[in-house]
Amino acid sequence: MKTVLIVILLLLASLAQLTVAPLFPISGAQADIPLVTMAVLAVYAGPATVMLGMPLVALFLGFGSSRAPGLLIIGYLPLLPLGLAFEEWQLPLNRFVRTILAGAITGLWLRTVLAMGAMVSGAPLAIGPLIGQVLLPGVFFDLALLTLAYLPFRFVGWSGHPMSLRREGFWGSN
Amino acid sequence: MLIFSRYTWWVASMIGLAFLLAIMGQTGLLRPFQGVFSVVTTPIDNVFSGAFQPVASFLSNAGNVNSLRDENARLRIENETLSNKVTQLQQDAQTVNDLQAALKIVQSSSSETRVAATVVVIDNTPFTDVVGIDRGSGSGIKVGMVVLSAQGTLMGTVISVNSDSAFVRKITDSKSKVNAHDLESKSDGIVAGTPNRGLTFDLSQADIKVGDTIVTSGLGGNYPPGIPIGKVSAVSGTSQDLFRQVTVEPGVRLSTTTTVLVNTTFVPQRISPATP
Repeated sequence: MKTVLIVILLLLASLAQLTVAPLFPISGAQADIPLVTMAVLAVYAGPATVMLGMPLVALFLGFGSSRAPGLLIIGYLPLLPLGLAFEEWQLPLNRFVRTILAGAITGLWLRTVLAMGAMVSGAPLAIGPLIGQVLLPGVFFDLALLTLAYLPFRFVGWSGHPMSLRREGFWGSN
Repeated sequence: MLIFSRYTWWVASMIGLAFLLAIMGQTGLLRPFQGVFSVVTTPIDNVFSGAFQPVASFLSNAGNVNSLRDENARLRIENETLSNKVTQLQQDAQTVNDLQAALKIVQSSSSETRVAATVVVIDNTPFTDVVGIDRGSGSGIKVGMVVLSAQGTLMGTVISVNSDSAFVRKITDSKSKVNAHDLESKSDGIVAGTPNRGLTFDLSQADIKVGDTIVTSGLGGNYPPGIPIGKVSAVSGTSQDLFRQVTVEPGVRLSTTTTVLVNTTFVPQRISPATP
């Protein structure tokens, strides 16, 4: 049941990215709803959930648009390793800040990868617009949305999962 | 010391999967899956769009009274229609002059078939401006066909087709290039999309002025001649410059258009735009 719900959630997040997010741009940039969804899922449902869900999101987005699913996988890839790294480095940051940081860096990476993909396939090389009109507003948007999505769960008392994998993994937490 | 353990295997397998998907995408093996996915999710897309489009419209017009917003939308359509009629009349006048000069040359005319479609997906990744529509090869749509707004302004071209859906690259996509013509200065150039989803009129050496009307030139064979694109909104640079920087305001609000027309009659020649 949990698996079905998560797949549906990721599907809806992907479709929302293609239909709802473009309707609410800031300076031409938009939030990445699947990224925010996966970041919250990684904390509250465990990293194993996102390990299985991430390729699904890439496929959903790729099938629903003209984007390359492979490029999307590379774009979303740093989210979990960054979360684990921030945890194991024992930085003086709480889980919320670590999640925000991992989400922001992944958002930057994702947009850079997609922009580079566009440039390689014929778009003009424009670093200034990439930074000023894509990366910065996009990350700002991601941070705002991630905060809105994360904090309610925290306020109701959910503590969240560590980023290190438990032995039973995804199936064991059903 | 970081020990990724199972993360290492996961990252490696994801990179492998990415390469596999890239190869499958290049060879067209993903196309059938994309078609099935499109059929299944289009109703959900429509629900999302229908639910949030009014909210987006409301927010974008915040501060305006509803009646003013409706009137504004109506006037925009009317303005675009009238602008296109003026453009058409200007072209007609030019054609008449040319014919009179050439004497006894008769211009043939052909009827066009246009398929109406609804925008269901907006794919705005960095530097790209692509929309998905709810008509595909089943409606006679093919790659390369020209897409217009409901009032006849150029919107883009079809870049991929499934049985019941298709994707359209808008002219504001940074990869889009359209051979175009300035009706007032009678000069040719290339209308190109910019990274911030705007339009420029490049490579034209004539005395272009703000307000000039830009239409497709038909050169290159990818677009029929005479389709309205927009009007010149800014010209920067000096007369010493070889090429001035010309900004074009599209004739239609491309970001909020929900209904488009696909010209299924015109067959593109697929010849690259002219380069200097």
